[in-house]
Amino acid sequence: MAKEQMMTGCRAAAEGAKAAEVEVICSYPIRPYTAIMMELAKMVANGELNAEFVHGEGEHAQVSVVLGASASGARAFTGSSGVGVTYAMEVYSPMAGGRYPAQMSIADRTLDPPGDFGSEHTDAMSTRDQGWLLGWACSPQEVYDNTLINYRVGEDHRVMLPQMVCQDGYFISHIPDKVTLGDKSQVKEFLPPYRPIGPLSLTHPVSHGPQIRPDQGAPMDAARAKTFLAVPKVIEEATADFNRIFGRKYDPFVEQYKLADADIAFFIQGAHSNTCRTAVDSLRKKGVKAGMARLRWVRPWPTHQLANALGHVKAVGVVETSTSYGGAMRGGNLIHELRASLYDLDQRPLVTSFMAGLGGETIWPADFDHMAKVLTQAVQEKKVRNYVQWTGM
Amino acid sequence: MAKVHEITVWARGVIMDKEGRDVINIFAKAAQMDGKHAQAFDNYEDLPDRVLVTVRKYVRLSDEEIEHKYVYTNDQPEVVVIAEATIVKGIDVLLGMKKGGTLIINTNRSIDSMLKFIPNADLLSTIATVDADGITGVRTVDFSGSEGGVDESGIGKGIAAPIVGAIAKVTGMIKKEHLAKIVSDVSGMERGYKEVKIKKLG
Repeated sequence: MAKEQMMTGCRAAAEGAKAAEVEVICSYPIRPYTAIMMELAKMVANGELNAEFVHGEGEHAQVSVVLGASASGARAFTGSSGVGVTYAMEVYSPMAGGRYPAQMSIADRTLDPPGDFGSEHTDAMSTRDQGWLLGWACSPQEVYDNTLINYRVGEDHRVMLPQMVCQDGYFISHIPDKVTLGDKSQVKEFLPPYRPIGPLSLTHPVSHGPQIRPDQGAPMDAARAKTFLAVPKVIEEATADFNRIFGRKYDPFVEQYKLADADIAFFIQGAHSNTCRTAVDSLRKKGVKAGMARLRWVRPWPTHQLANALGHVKAVGVVETSTSYGGAMRGGNLIHELRASLYDLDQRPLVTSFMAGLGGETIWPADFDHMAKVLTQAVQEKKVRNYVQWTGM
Repeated sequence: MAKVHEITVWARGVIMDKEGRDVINIFAKAAQMDGKHAQAFDNYEDLPDRVLVTVRKYVRLSDEEIEHKYVYTNDQPEVVVIAEATIVKGIDVLLGMKKGGTLIINTNRSIDSMLKFIPNADLLSTIATVDADGITGVRTVDFSGSEGGVDESGIGKGIAAPIVGAIAKVTGMIKKEHLAKIVSDVSGMERGYKEVKIKKLG
């Protein structure tokens, strides 16, 4: 067994890509994800990783290059942050629609204006309807693990979809934490080689990405939607295998922390769940029956798993770290989908949301205490006063 | 919640970015070898890719697991280390320090001449100077290590070695024998330990 090391999320992502033996990498610098590429460039230069390292002239080019690489049969890797993620927006749908299972490693960053290095989930969240797999890690260890799990799920022939493996900028990407890397035999057992379907080839010429007639559009969209119905089972299988081979304990979709007897629950994704867990512990010491549900995949959205995990709770507070200006709930994105997931339950929890951790702000234990007060009050009054509250301001 | 000890290192962007980061990484590693829980990280907002800007590096130490990891700054440093002496001229390096703290400066000037630039020296119980530049002669310039990248040139090869030696002697928070297993330049570290000048203040 490899021993535990201290490393940042960026390093962990690079180690994951190295373990997956990626064959084509395309880089373009932007904080905070840049360090992933710095690490990989060094691995390639040192001969530790046999990959083609391409310098893109921007994020649009980055994703285009890995699209081409994936189409020709290579396991491809790229990444970005913040406005870099949105600059590449045009290529996301072709990538997913063409069923190219390349991976993009995101260390998230607040979108402009003004320039802000801090973490916020809005960048990658805004790509959520482009047909990619998408989810946030909550530790450098999970970044490494998700890199491997995503390649396995994305390259499965029942799936064949690109993946965005996200981590909170700075909090995960830049603060070292304990990571245990897998050894070669573990990775080999877990992740089979990429087997492309109908790759570009000089000896067997094929066309990719042709123009179609309007009447061919809807069936293709339906096929893509149907693919997503098959993804959860593949995620469950891959997570079970990963847990067995690497000795981890991931729930495939939703980490449930002290939820079983909880009256109030936080619904959260990413780095701040670590503070949330300690907040739940301290609330429990004060006699508040709090719990936490941590989302591991935004796409595919685990509708039924969330209904099962949170259906019995009296009030749920969605901790939003992304914005949805003018949206139905006036705040972030997650609450829309969570409320929809709970709608069909006979007895559903009250649901409100808290805008927190925006612009890279730390969410403090006291912020969670405040949220717990709001949730407890909602339980007492049997209604939520607002769809959204802005915390820490 | 266990007490978290904060140590802040000030350095200059690019030319000493790696050196500053070496100090915190060596410090944290040595503390971990003693069974302590430690975090070491750069201040994310300090723009380390701009030459000569002041950059802060942080260590956090605790006897127990550090629960709340996500803080941008050390708000109450107990120990402040200045890797480049002129930084004291323009910046309140002791900001947030409670009475009884420690200041360690890399300089060949006397302690009393440095004290002239510390208007709030009443916060200090200890001030120390170490001529790290004089001991190692060079500053390592290494662009590759920015943004958490790996350090090719080895950890503790330049001025970080005598500085961590001095920290061990002055604070007692880390042990010299652990440092010897971490730093590339062991004799530089030993000289920092031996040659650091210490003055106890009221």
